[in-house]
Amino acid sequence: MSIRKTLLITVLPFLLGSFVFGQHADEHKKFNASETIIHHVLDSHDWHLTDWPGEDGHSTSIAIHLPWFFYNSETGFEFYGSTHSLQESGKYVSYHEKPYMLKAGASIPADYHGHGDLDENLLNKDVTIIDLSPTKTVVHMFLMALLVFFIFRAVAKGYTKNKGKAPSGIQSFFEPIILFVRDDIAKDYLGDKAARFTPYLLSLFFFIWFSNVFGLMPFSSNIMGNIGVTAALATLTFIIVQVNGTKDYWQHIFAMPGVPVAILPLMTVIEIISLFVKPVALMIRLFANISAGHFMVLSLICLMFILGEAGHNVTGALSIMPLSIAFGIAIFSLEVIVAIIQAYIFTLLTAVFLGDAMTSHDDHH
Amino acid sequence: MEGVVGNIGVIGAGIGAGLAAIGAGMGIGRLTASAVESIARQPEASGDIRGAMILMAAFIEGVALFGEVVCLLAVFQ
Repeated sequence: MSIRKTLLITVLPFLLGSFVFGQHADEHKKFNASETIIHHVLDSHDWHLTDWPGEDGHSTSIAIHLPWFFYNSETGFEFYGSTHSLQESGKYVSYHEKPYMLKAGASIPADYHGHGDLDENLLNKDVTIIDLSPTKTVVHMFLMALLVFFIFRAVAKGYTKNKGKAPSGIQSFFEPIILFVRDDIAKDYLGDKAARFTPYLLSLFFFIWFSNVFGLMPFSSNIMGNIGVTAALATLTFIIVQVNGTKDYWQHIFAMPGVPVAILPLMTVIEIISLFVKPVALMIRLFANISAGHFMVLSLICLMFILGEAGHNVTGALSIMPLSIAFGIAIFSLEVIVAIIQAYIFTLLTAVFLGDAMTSHDDHH
Repeated sequence: MEGVVGNIGVIGAGIGAGLAAIGAGMGIGRLTASAVESIARQPEASGDIRGAMILMAAFIEGVALFGEVVCLLAVFQ
């Protein structure tokens, strides 16, 4: 496929999206750019695909409704098929994507459909509800996990089938990348212990890369732009590093050899802080990079709606359109590169921390 | 009054984001300048230098992103 075609396919969904978006104008609502951007970036209980313009100016929202599943401290686990059935129950209401119990006798306003503003006096905040719903991000994470699983099962099958022969098909596409992670990340930083951790590093690399690229596609959610996801990945790395830390590693944290006793308490405090800063930095780096990319692309596209006053001022929209699309494509292309760079950096830093925790420091003293 | 304070918060977030970007820009600029110079002096070591450069750039960028996240929190509260 030529580059021009690829670019066209990348831009088309945006153009299409903007077309459908433009129909909102008939409702005479002021366009709120930051609200639109936040809505696109945040997690939700509906997989919102698009809005379909209706006859009388009211657009119909097309979405895949995801179930609600939560733990109520008084009644136990509860399950509802969708936001609609959750609110139909008369007991719960979805407010800012969180389930709340309604106060006794209170009812949901007729024009409230799970989004927007609601009188907080209606909510019974004394009941603790732990939301365990498979939201958009969770569903997409499972999709990505399955995709990674099936692709790499095919690759692994290729190695048994083509034993001693040249790789074929999907195997030949992934072989150089797998070798890169194994040789340039695992072996460089972990030395002779590389074989034990290569599977973890490969899983990290491909899961983050696939999720990032998938997040750039239309109709998908940005998985790594959700701080919970990156926090979970960073926690995994943190646990693996601590579990595999040698005696030397712990000694360097709690009692750095060769340091005067007077400075030792200070050193210990600094070392303990740095222990926790490392995974937090991993978490923030991935989250902020991917979120920033989404914010940039969406802001550039939103420029058209801001200057076009959401469809009332076509000249304004047209004047900014070339700039908006050109910059949008530029940032989008950058994001495709950032997707793999961030996967690389997360994997590399995991290997660096692991290597640091496992090497013997005897040669230093 | 509340609205005024909110606006000042947004201004502060904007200035903070800019300062974080300046810091990261200077850091990565100096880092890359030295790395490119080293590669020019010793082209056979370019692989190792590039690896170290990317690693350090990630650390600098990490600090800058801490700043950006704080600014984001200031805007969205």
